[in-house]
Amino acid sequence: MSNRRPYVRSMDGWWKRDPYFIRYMAREVTAVFVAAYAVLLLVGLVRLGQGEAAFNGWLQYLKTPWMLVFHLIVLAVFCYHTWSWFNIMPKTMPIMFVGGKRVQPGAITGTGLAASVIACLAVLFIVRGMS
Amino acid sequence: MEVFKADVAIVGAGGGGLRAAIAVAESDPKLKIALISKVLPMRSHTVAAEGGAAAVTRPDDSLDHHFNDTVGGGDWLCEQDVVEYFVAHAHEEVVQMEHWGCPWSRTEDGHANVRPFGGMKIERTWFAADKTGFHMLHTLFQTSIKYPSIKRFDEHFCVDLVVEDGRVQGAVVIEIATGAFRLIQAKAVIIATGGAGRVFRENTNGGIVTGDGMALAYRHGVPLRDMEFMQYHPTCMPRTGLLFTEACRGEGGFLINKDGYRYLQDYGLGPAEDKPRNKFMELGPRDRVSQAYWHEQKKGRTIEGPFGSVVHLDMRHLGEAKLRERLPQIYELAEEFMGIDPAHAPIPVLPAVHYTMGGILAYGNTASSLPGLYSVGECSSVGIHGANRLGSNSLTELVVFGKVAGVEAAKYAKSVSITNPGAIEKQAESVQARALGIVNQSGGAERIAVLRTEMAKSMESGCGIYRLATDMQATCDKIGELRQRYKKLKVEDQSKVYNTDWLLAIELGYLLDVAETIVHSALKRKESRGSHQRLDGYEQRDDANFLKHTLAYYNGDSPPRIEYGDVKITKSKPGTRAYGAAGVKADEERKKQGAANG
Amino acid sequence: MADTEKIIEIQVLRYRPEQDKEPVLQSYKVPFTDDMSVLQGLQYIKDYLDETVSFRWSCRMAICGSCGMMIDGKPKLSCKTFLREYYPQGLRVEALAHMPIERDLIVSVEDFVTKLESIKPYIIPKEPRTLEQGEYLQTPQQRDMYEQFSSCINCMLCYAACPQYGLNPKFTGPGVLALLHRYNADSRDGGQAERLGLGYADEGFWGCTAVGYCSEVCPKGVDPANAINQNKMNSAINYFTRFVTPGGADK
Repeated sequence: MSNRRPYVRSMDGWWKRDPYFIRYMAREVTAVFVAAYAVLLLVGLVRLGQGEAAFNGWLQYLKTPWMLVFHLIVLAVFCYHTWSWFNIMPKTMPIMFVGGKRVQPGAITGTGLAASVIACLAVLFIVRGMS
Repeated sequence: MEVFKADVAIVGAGGGGLRAAIAVAESDPKLKIALISKVLPMRSHTVAAEGGAAAVTRPDDSLDHHFNDTVGGGDWLCEQDVVEYFVAHAHEEVVQMEHWGCPWSRTEDGHANVRPFGGMKIERTWFAADKTGFHMLHTLFQTSIKYPSIKRFDEHFCVDLVVEDGRVQGAVVIEIATGAFRLIQAKAVIIATGGAGRVFRENTNGGIVTGDGMALAYRHGVPLRDMEFMQYHPTCMPRTGLLFTEACRGEGGFLINKDGYRYLQDYGLGPAEDKPRNKFMELGPRDRVSQAYWHEQKKGRTIEGPFGSVVHLDMRHLGEAKLRERLPQIYELAEEFMGIDPAHAPIPVLPAVHYTMGGILAYGNTASSLPGLYSVGECSSVGIHGANRLGSNSLTELVVFGKVAGVEAAKYAKSVSITNPGAIEKQAESVQARALGIVNQSGGAERIAVLRTEMAKSMESGCGIYRLATDMQATCDKIGELRQRYKKLKVEDQSKVYNTDWLLAIELGYLLDVAETIVHSALKRKESRGSHQRLDGYEQRDDANFLKHTLAYYNGDSPPRIEYGDVKITKSKPGTRAYGAAGVKADEERKKQGAANG
Repeated sequence: MADTEKIIEIQVLRYRPEQDKEPVLQSYKVPFTDDMSVLQGLQYIKDYLDETVSFRWSCRMAICGSCGMMIDGKPKLSCKTFLREYYPQGLRVEALAHMPIERDLIVSVEDFVTKLESIKPYIIPKEPRTLEQGEYLQTPQQRDMYEQFSSCINCMLCYAACPQYGLNPKFTGPGVLALLHRYNADSRDGGQAERLGLGYADEGFWGCTAVGYCSEVCPKGVDPANAINQNKMNSAINYFTRFVTPGGADK
């Protein structure tokens, strides 16, 4: 009979063991907020289909203090989501060469973040022009 | 005891053992192979080889150049017919490695690149950055997975060979995870267990390099050949002995003393030039470069560091980009282990024991005097290293002779059958009893670590870069004493599962036996040749009396019996071993003479 | 002279299956100098304080992959982690996380080895070539496509860093998937189709949720997270195209 008795350790509370895991879980949780905001926009779309009064009511609702607070939270969460997403992006792409030189992960993350800032500014600019 | 019936058993799964296993599998898929390793194969010490593998590649190179570099580098103690075979088959074997996926570094047009190494006339070292051994080992290991006939026994520790009817018929191993014994019955056994650098204190070797296979063959009457020749590598990390590859110098690194002076020019290796030149200065052979360090230290021109006198390996002029590309691991070692950025500061280095030139006496076909027993790699003395190994010949040796060992062992295994299995099992039982005895004996008080440390210190003082009869005699006495004290060893750990204490105790027994062959072989060689240099009246090479192989035979509790064997000379008569400008002159004279004679 | 010796406390998670029900911490006081690695600290313990402490080690230079362990909760190679970084507070060493402990600091490696064996980790030649024809041509850039992934030393730190592997040991895991990608990305290899079945399975690339810690802890810059995640796109394309290509759904 073998004397081996391999000991398997429990995974309970694994995500609290390392700050890296906590940051990872935070990134995953931000997805819930992304989904929640998508639902909110979907409700707006339904309201729009129900007529002008319904849509205005939805817009009024967005201006309540609770919803403003909600928006601020969501903005912060989205910023973190964007940052963490572009941080992992180099890991999702094949190795690339530009002009014979390997593109470094930092360059990919930096380009992604810059692109998202530019996109946000562009949207802001367009919306301002419309109102 | 559980029995596994193999055709060929291979002890050791580093580069040599894996190459041999593949060769057996390819020569006949019906042969059952037991590949035994005390670690997972990818932990084997082949992994630590850095610089590269030699094979004639460039059009301006030739087999004769490789032959002459090897034989001259070995101070004419090489078996020349074996060297001829070696240089002729080197290229096809490194190409074979390429076909199996080894990530050799490339030239822009996609061919394998070669770099210069010490003692080499033309660049011929194939390399995979500075992790050549690592890549070769993993390539071989992963390729070996392709062959269903290779049955691996990972983390199985070999405690003895089984010899019955005058030939080897198997091995007894401990499954480390359980402490259970297994008999691996085999018609042929290949030993590929690597060197014995751990008999010394400061060495580049991994903890597993304990001469196991050498000791096993030796105890069964196979002689260990040329054991006095231990190679000191000139550029190692102080205290730990970790290796900075010769490729550091191949790429253009300088060795300087405390005055910033490239001192090698004072030891027949000059003149000093800015660019690396083959067989000059830093690209001299390892024995000469290590010996120059010793002289510098005596002259007080080394730098005093916390762990002894050092010289500086200066690579600053190569620039960070080149260092990162060609020597990434060296960069990492310097940065992480020493806090030194080699692009901006020189690295303190000193010589440390690196390679066991001698080993189990193997004929050109890797067979030994014991029928059925073969050996390959550092544990073996097939005859290509002589008194000093040329850098980057050893990785090539693994694949060239690994293949030979596999093919030869397969052939032999098919020609014989197991006789008297009952007697074999009985032998295995008594091997088991002896191995258990080491743990179970009572009344012992000697500590493993104490004995090991005393051995290593004594070996260092007796068998260093330069040797004296009085010191060697003292070491002979010391090793004899330690072998007696070994019998009173106390093993604290009495368990079965991963009892590494027990294994260390068995390894210590191997180390002591091998150490004894080294120092007795050294004491009796009354000349200076290659890595064996004496300062007690035998400073010159003495071809009249010592153009001979030393053969150490096991002699029970007594010191080994030393005998001598002939050296095979085919086309290179012993000549002056010269490097640098003197080497060029000697070459010209030899050519002139050759022309006059021819 | 060597710098002055200090004393550091090393707590070792002990587990001796023949006597311990579960792992327990044992503390040792070890004299050390600033150049000493955690591995050297453990060797001191084994040599002079307690011969029964078991751990794997060999090369001492971060290439053999034997000596991975959790050091203050982080997966590291003990040979290139230095005691001075934990002075004066001391440190705790444990067997690599997410793998069963065999004894003390030794974990089971069978799962890793079996998985490695299953991915065909060898060249399946795209076109045959004899030795007389010499080496396959491969430009430095083609070599760069896989070289980093071939640098895996099998130390399994990435497995100790991967919670997905800890939660579901069937997941092939970072190191082995990196090696799978290593062969697929080699210009000499033509075995992609044979290997990708494994990669595209649930336990393959999709078992990864891009935690990314594997690449953080890798001592050799292999970046297994990259090897895995760059394959997810191919896998997704493969999933949809196999329904539209004739006979593809049977694959």
